[in-house]
Amino acid sequence: MDNTTQIVITAITLLGSAGIWKYAEARLRVKAELKREEKSDSDTVLYRDDLKKRVEEMDLALKEAHKELLELTQKVAKLETENTFLRREIDILKSK
Amino acid sequence: MERSKNRKAEALKKIKKAIKQLRVIWQYSDSQPTEITLAAALVLLYPTATFLELGYSPIMQITAPLAGLYQLYCVSGNCIKCRVRASFITFTFYAIAAVMYLHYGLLFKGPSYWGWVLLTVSSFGSLKRIKKEELHKNNG
Repeated sequence: MDNTTQIVITAITLLGSAGIWKYAEARLRVKAELKREEKSDSDTVLYRDDLKKRVEEMDLALKEAHKELLELTQKVAKLETENTFLRREIDILKSK
Repeated sequence: MERSKNRKAEALKKIKKAIKQLRVIWQYSDSQPTEITLAAALVLLYPTATFLELGYSPIMQITAPLAGLYQLYCVSGNCIKCRVRASFITFTFYAIAAVMYLHYGLLFKGPSYWGWVLLTVSSFGSLKRIKKEELHKNNG
């Protein structure tokens, strides 16, 4: 095989395949971009995003409610103890 | 008459469905096995076949196996950018072989030489598939 021919054929093919690939790549990019835009505009995606937001809000509210519940339980326990002592004191006073 | 028409329509529908399914598989299936096959052919078959049929060519017989090894390395590393790069190189090498065979008139000597065109098309398909996967991953 002639060296010059080899180099010329390789160079031409390399440039040709690079050109073909650049074109195909650009087409794929445009298609992907269009698909992405289509996806982000669709009702399903908007609904999904809305649901996500709502789930996040509800999760936050649930955590807050849980915290409040814990505080209330502690208060009730404290009041129950106080009540027990007061009853005992009343009983002592009554017996006197 | 009516029954045979219905059968024909049904058969046509089935064929269309099969073609559509094959197209989807061709476009979106995992391409690693194809990449490994193409890379292995580039390492083993490519230099041997080109040396025996075209003669000594350092561009084809020294660099092509290296490109095949690089492709294997990229597939094993699971890096998508590397795979795109390596697949492009593989595609270029197969295209070079197809053009060389065409230039030396071997492509029209027998159907077995058309395999180079097939490998070029296959490597291009694989390249497109990986690029699609990359774009899909980037778009989320």
